Amino acid sequence: MDGMREMNRPREGLEIRAVVAEASQALARLDADRLEELALACQALNRDLASNAGTQQMQSDGRRSDETLARQAREAAGGMRAFRRVLDATRANLTVMRRLRQLREGKIEYSEAQARGWTPSEPDYGDN
Amino acid sequence: MGTINAAFSIMTQALDADQAALNVVANNVANANTLGYTTETPNYQENQPLEIGGVSYGDGVTETGATSVRDRVLTERLNQQQQVASSTGAQLTALNTVQALFTPDSGSSSAQAGDISSDLTGFFNSFSSLEANPANNSLREEVLSSASTLASDVSNAAAGLNSQRSALDQEAGGVTSQVNSLTGAIAQLDQQIQSTSPNADAGTLEDQRQQDLSQLSQLIGVNQITTENNGISVTTTAGQPLVSEGQSFQLTTGSVNGVTHFFVGGADITAELASGGGQLGGYLTARDQDIPNVLGSLDQLAFSVSTQVNALNNAGTDLAGDNGNAGDIFSEPALVAGSAAAMSVVMTDPNHIAAAGAGMGTGDNSNATAMAALANQAIVNGATPTNYYANFVSQLGATVENVQTENTAANASVTQLQTQNNALSSVNLNDEASAMSTFERSYQAASQVFTMLNTIMASVLNLGEQATVS
Repeated sequence: MDGMREMNRPREGLEIRAVVAEASQALARLDADRLEELALACQALNRDLASNAGTQQMQSDGRRSDETLARQAREAAGGMRAFRRVLDATRANLTVMRRLRQLREGKIEYSEAQARGWTPSEPDYGDN
Repeated sequence: MGTINAAFSIMTQALDADQAALNVVANNVANANTLGYTTETPNYQENQPLEIGGVSYGDGVTETGATSVRDRVLTERLNQQQQVASSTGAQLTALNTVQALFTPDSGSSSAQAGDISSDLTGFFNSFSSLEANPANNSLREEVLSSASTLASDVSNAAAGLNSQRSALDQEAGGVTSQVNSLTGAIAQLDQQIQSTSPNADAGTLEDQRQQDLSQLSQLIGVNQITTENNGISVTTTAGQPLVSEGQSFQLTTGSVNGVTHFFVGGADITAELASGGGQLGGYLTARDQDIPNVLGSLDQLAFSVSTQVNALNNAGTDLAGDNGNAGDIFSEPALVAGSAAAMSVVMTDPNHIAAAGAGMGTGDNSNATAMAALANQAIVNGATPTNYYANFVSQLGATVENVQTENTAANASVTQLQTQNNALSSVNLNDEASAMSTFERSYQAASQVFTMLNTIMASVLNLGEQATVS
């Protein structure tokens, strides 16, 4: 019974802000393993929240767990904005890398060598 | 060519080609720790086949040189992100120094600008105390003392901002010689590359040029354009040429309204350099936008408080019986600009504080009540003095946080691109595919983390607490 109570209690000590900061750092390093671990941790936290919805649980320090989470979320808001920007930059970088790979695999027709030898053709318009 | 000789020739050519390839590998190993060196791969060219007795035999391969495994698209993206990282880094350093000026109790004993909020409260409260006993000399002294503390902290903050602006101006000017040195070197390398390798990768020369471009990107925002014969043109992000056809165009400086401006030829490109990126962009943004904005707000506060308090004091009656001409408490500013730096207390005799209303006896307190009430009136751009100050400090904090966010993202992006650039320059195609796969996995996992964290934030919001993520 005590074990069940333990499972239903939101994970105390798991600071959302720390998770957000570590996610940003792991993404900068492209540490896929760590990011996948963090995704699992977030899944678990999400499950905890869902199972505790509607209940008001007290922590060892006498504060309500939802108050603690709300405080953590407020503190993590700035970190989330940074994480979103890192994610945006990563998406742009990934697009560049995909295009480069396609270029090297010959899936895109133009190449640097072609570009170097490129000479402008006669314009089709306005040359009268 | 005889059959045996031909076969021998094929073998020796193959050995020569292998030897040349080994030399390339040896060169890569020797330069493994050279900054900016790009790994070279040997190029092989198939020789013309031999016809022997009507049968065609392959004639082996010849090593025709080495090509650096570099990708201009990737390095250009890297340079572009480096420009953003350098710019936001320089701006952030400047903003952190500015913010420290307004952090309570952070300043030295002579410049506790962070206490301006409590100074304002203390100053208006001193009039509230005077209301109870308007003729009391020590309470009158207290009014002048708190006015002096307020004026001193405001003017010290303005002096700190002006000093920070001058330091940024010097740092910005110092970048010029580095930029000119790099653009000169790039122009020289460009000439060499165009004359020696107009149609092929120029190896270490291109490495050097790339290295110089990378350094230049950390200093200012630039665009690079590939031209014919393997050359490049370098322009500012707004298109002002810095290197073209093997020639560099020097950046010069001159003083305009007391600050350093930047010119190429006769054109003043200061504004475009500010928005362009690189360290110089960060310095100029802080010098020309961030600090003037903060100083402008402080000027407005000093101007409004000084003029309103002086006007009320001159509308009342002081202890010496002066009615309507008791004099100014603060130095009266003529213009908003410069009000903070010039803020000071000019009243020396506390008897000239006009606590009594116009035409009233010296025991009256109605003017002291009116001056105390200024604390709760919207006298500074539609806000009370303390609210106005709190808002501008809060806006400064938001600006710092935004720049911090941009800097974090740009640095993360640079780290990612450097990782990919290294992978591209040093591994085979299979390893490169693996690096790409890691990139994809990282992005997907990070997207999941972000989505779930957003859901968690929304759940917390449902618990009745505000958590904003934009």
